[in-house]
Amino acid sequence: MSRGFIRNFPAFKLLSDENIDQIHRGTLDVLQKTGVTVYNDKALKVFKNADCDVDFDSKRVKFPPGLVEECLRKAPTSFRVKARNQKHDLLLGPNNVLFFNFPGTDTVDLNTWEPRTPTEQEHIDLIKVLDALENVHFLNAYPYFGFSGGIPEVMKEIEGVALRMRNSTKVTVAIANNDIDRFTIKMAKSIGTEIFANPNTSSPLTYYTDQVNACFLAAEYDLPSMIWEGATYGGTAPASTSGAVILSNAELIPYIVLMQLLKPGARVSVANLVLAQNMGNGAPAFGEIGVSLHNVVFNQVWRRYGIPTVSSSCGPTSSKRIDFQNGYQKMMPTLLSAISGSSVLQLYSSIYGEITAHPIQAILDDDIAGMIGRFLEGVDAGDEALAIDLINEVGPIPGHYLGKAHTRKWWKKEQFAPKSADRLTYPEWLKADKKSCIEYAMDRMEKILSTHKVDPPLTEKQESDIEDILSEARSYYRENGLISDEEWDVYKKNFKI
Amino acid sequence: MLKGFTRNFKPLEILTEEQVESIHGGTLDVLRRTGIRFESEKALKLFEKNGCQVDYSNNRVRFPEGLVEECLRRAPSSYHVKARNPENDMIWGGNTTYFQALSGSQSIDLETWEPRTPTRKEFHDAITVLDALGNVHIVPWYTPWFGFKNVPPVMAMPEGLAARFRNSSKFICANYSMDCEVFNIEMARAVGAELRTSMAAAPPLTFYSDAVESAYRIVNAGFILLLVSGSVYGGTSPSTIAGSLITGNAEIIAGIVLAQLIKPGTRVIAQDFSFPQNMRAGSPAFGDIAISLHQAAFNQIWRKYDIPTDGGVSYPSSKKIDYQAAYEKSILSFTGALSGTNTIWIQGALYGELAFHPVMAIIDDDLVGMIGRFLEGIEVNEETMALDLINDVGPIPGHYLSKAHTRKWWNKEQFVPKVADRSTPPEWLKLGKNDCIDYAKKRYDEIISTHKVDLPLTDKQESDIERILKEAREYYKKKGLISSEEWDEYKKDLKSPNYPYE
Amino acid sequence: MNNDIFEDLKKAIKEYDTEAAASLAKKAIGEKIEPLKLLDAMTVAIREVGDGFGRGELWLPDLVGAADAMSAATPIIEEEIKRIGAKRESLGTIVVGTVFGDIHSIGKTMICTLLTAEGFKVHDLGINIKAEQFLEAIKKYNADILAMSALMTMTAPEQRKVIKFLENENLREKVKIMVGGGAITEEFSKNIGADGYDPTAPGAVKLARQLIGK
Repeated sequence: MSRGFIRNFPAFKLLSDENIDQIHRGTLDVLQKTGVTVYNDKALKVFKNADCDVDFDSKRVKFPPGLVEECLRKAPTSFRVKARNQKHDLLLGPNNVLFFNFPGTDTVDLNTWEPRTPTEQEHIDLIKVLDALENVHFLNAYPYFGFSGGIPEVMKEIEGVALRMRNSTKVTVAIANNDIDRFTIKMAKSIGTEIFANPNTSSPLTYYTDQVNACFLAAEYDLPSMIWEGATYGGTAPASTSGAVILSNAELIPYIVLMQLLKPGARVSVANLVLAQNMGNGAPAFGEIGVSLHNVVFNQVWRRYGIPTVSSSCGPTSSKRIDFQNGYQKMMPTLLSAISGSSVLQLYSSIYGEITAHPIQAILDDDIAGMIGRFLEGVDAGDEALAIDLINEVGPIPGHYLGKAHTRKWWKKEQFAPKSADRLTYPEWLKADKKSCIEYAMDRMEKILSTHKVDPPLTEKQESDIEDILSEARSYYRENGLISDEEWDVYKKNFKI
Repeated sequence: MLKGFTRNFKPLEILTEEQVESIHGGTLDVLRRTGIRFESEKALKLFEKNGCQVDYSNNRVRFPEGLVEECLRRAPSSYHVKARNPENDMIWGGNTTYFQALSGSQSIDLETWEPRTPTRKEFHDAITVLDALGNVHIVPWYTPWFGFKNVPPVMAMPEGLAARFRNSSKFICANYSMDCEVFNIEMARAVGAELRTSMAAAPPLTFYSDAVESAYRIVNAGFILLLVSGSVYGGTSPSTIAGSLITGNAEIIAGIVLAQLIKPGTRVIAQDFSFPQNMRAGSPAFGDIAISLHQAAFNQIWRKYDIPTDGGVSYPSSKKIDYQAAYEKSILSFTGALSGTNTIWIQGALYGELAFHPVMAIIDDDLVGMIGRFLEGIEVNEETMALDLINDVGPIPGHYLSKAHTRKWWNKEQFVPKVADRSTPPEWLKLGKNDCIDYAKKRYDEIISTHKVDLPLTDKQESDIERILKEAREYYKKKGLISSEEWDEYKKDLKSPNYPYE
Repeated sequence: MNNDIFEDLKKAIKEYDTEAAASLAKKAIGEKIEPLKLLDAMTVAIREVGDGFGRGELWLPDLVGAADAMSAATPIIEEEIKRIGAKRESLGTIVVGTVFGDIHSIGKTMICTLLTAEGFKVHDLGINIKAEQFLEAIKKYNADILAMSALMTMTAPEQRKVIKFLENENLREKVKIMVGGGAITEEFSKNIGADGYDPTAPGAVKLARQLIGK
């Protein structure tokens, strides 16, 4: 089972308990007074039956505070998720930290740094790398949005899930757009793994029908869910951090209420992808430090609710390259998320925003994860680590510690040696052709791709089940018009369907 | 006065109370049982007079607990430090956080990334950059480089200090070596500034006479003394973080006791400058995460002693301005800031103690801006919670972009870096695919062509500095510490028409 | 029996066991085992550790731990060599030290271990060594090579001073001089008139062999 890293010290707090109370009360006020718009009649009925104030015309639901607090209490503080290979089962909980990837629509050319559509092989290679990296505990949706060759839009992620099932035994995520999770959840079931249901909010305070349906699927199949919140503050949320946290929480809670009404004790986690608005160009300001302030407060509130949190802002940066800026924009939010109590950090593989990703970036990010993991373990101050007798024995100069048994035993526990970092001295570095971290990561990628095998591969039966579900999806979207005749012809021809 | 940054939340703590007590208890035990070796007759006598047990046969001083605690109490918990320009004065201690440039012995070529010796002009220009950067609050010793072309090593410190005073009105530091602190003190007095100078232990548990002699001079001059162990854990201190904290703190405390015995109330600051041993190369393992743990624990213990701390020393292990340098520098400085370091070293440094570049300093200044923004924290009140606004905007199609509240608040909540690439991909292509290094180079050119030190030296101050430099040159020549070859090179340099600037 | 004690001694070194190494040396001398063979056995063991380090399998603490174990046994064996008047074959004699004003010992310790492993007779003078002390040791041990280390920019010029001092004392031609340490570059080493420089510990061992033509 993957527990990831254990945080051995109390989570970092930015605000006082009183401030957290204020934010909680503000959230209850918005839910009660303004409520949310839910474009899903089934859900409106569930809310109505639970004594919410529901207006079926305007689709507006207002929540009594008692119901909200009761549902928050019903959600488990920690839970397991089952993977195809048991060693990748997950435990989400209050003191352990897991990592996964942040996807990009495209790959990037490492020479020009320009984005382009990946090939199927490149898509598979990224999955393989993520499967091989020990600290990637599960895989998000994508990791690229489809691959080249003419797959219809609506089939891209379904084909992607099939690739992940074939090339990884780690748990993954089923996005809900256009009902594709109906098919991907079935795929997961057919090969004996759980998959995260993934309902998204739409800011401010709105829920579309396919996203809400994900909750019904999660209840039907008894799946864990990861609820995604992606407001942009200054745009779809207030520009002030406290206000943005109130809005985010008011948007996440209705899903939790719905899940707990459908299935008391349902496994839920909340993912925070709230970003600042770049006021210069209207894009989200990826890598902005204010995002971390939001996330740290968010974590503090949800720790109080006892519901695991996912920090999505660790991954995307505003740099287009794997460079210094990309490095600090990843390390800072990752550190802050980890120490403030996130259960899951979404760090690996993304470069610019949600646009680009690359396996080399994932391999480099693995060293950030390792460093953070070591930091979370904290300091051992037991008698042996204190080494008081040794210190008194070694005494002043010319005493030293290099040859001591204590040093041989302890140094590796205290340090963390990154796998793709340049740790040479200048003369050694010159001798080694001035190799830098990107080149070390390339070596590591080559090694992974030439040696890593998915463990275990799909059985023939599982493989054919997946094929069947793919066919079923293709027919479904052909029938309802989401695959046009033109798209279908290309798809059929290029993929020999 | 420079405000720096205020940390508006409780610092990150990674030790339990019991762990802090264990480390503190261990430190007292080592000070009492094994003690510290001081290669200084003068210091040994002072310690003996004040109740320490002194063994003159091996220069060993053993410290009674009462004296240690009394001296820690005597050291002020926060204090004012005076720069050449009073606008750059600071208050160190409590929840204030200031940042300082981090030097390297050489410059680097931004194309080949290889180290090379800087020229006199580059040295002065780099100080101008540090003077211009808003988040550089301190321009410390060896900054920007240990020296420059044609200057004999022994003159590097006085020449460097003179250059810093000439090109910056910020708080300046200078270190000791071969008696140069005598000239440093004279120079600082001539320009009306205070200095901070270190007293470095020779770990394990030893102080050599040069460090002690310099400490006497600095304390008697009424300046600030920075105490540092500088151990490498696994080499000159135990390989465990906890053990290394014990030896390091024992060394620092011994120095503080000396300072408080020389002159009670002396302003001291405790520096964490310890690194794990790179067990392959034998050098310190720069950029290792253990440094962050060590620093966080160090801060927690020194908060208990109520003495300001210095550290967050952000040396990367990378030789380039790249992804690795970024994650190393950001976590080292940030964990330092979160756990309460009062003065943090970051701007400009590349690999280990060996490389500095002003373009790196410019990029780091953004990193510091981000850290500073985080330290300020957030406000929770009626206006920031914006409940009326949220209820008013409601669900989609409501939005916040056009609201007065957004115009007022977004800029307070966000920090906009000066040299980061924040474009969208289409903009980026159109702009020529600039990255942060390109933007930083542009800012470098801009600073060099426009920035002037806000308070130039007076003619009198300038001539005093030149006189003191002459004294130093004579002193070292007489002592035989400048060879005739060195002197010939140096002389040519001193006759440059644009001396002292190029 | 003899074989056992050689193996035990090697094992003690490879397991970094200082006490066992010393007591095995005493035991072996007591049993009248040829002391030169004991030294050879230890050299084999330390070479294995050195090779492991070179391959990246062992680390600095292992190297130094083994060297410490060997140093615990060496004086006992050397005393016996002196007593019976035997002569020890070695690649050459090297005097090693960190220069005056510099107290860094790690790099120097690495070099000493690897040079010993290679078969040199190494005299480690320690840290903070003045020119006079280097001179004295070169005379006393009839050294073939002087190896100096300086980590800091401020102390690097001290190496030049030592070389000048040896010139003045007419000893410069007698020894080959190699320099190293964090502050030293190829250019600097040529500048001060050293015979060789290498940035890495294993490279320095090769250099030492080159300098004495072996």
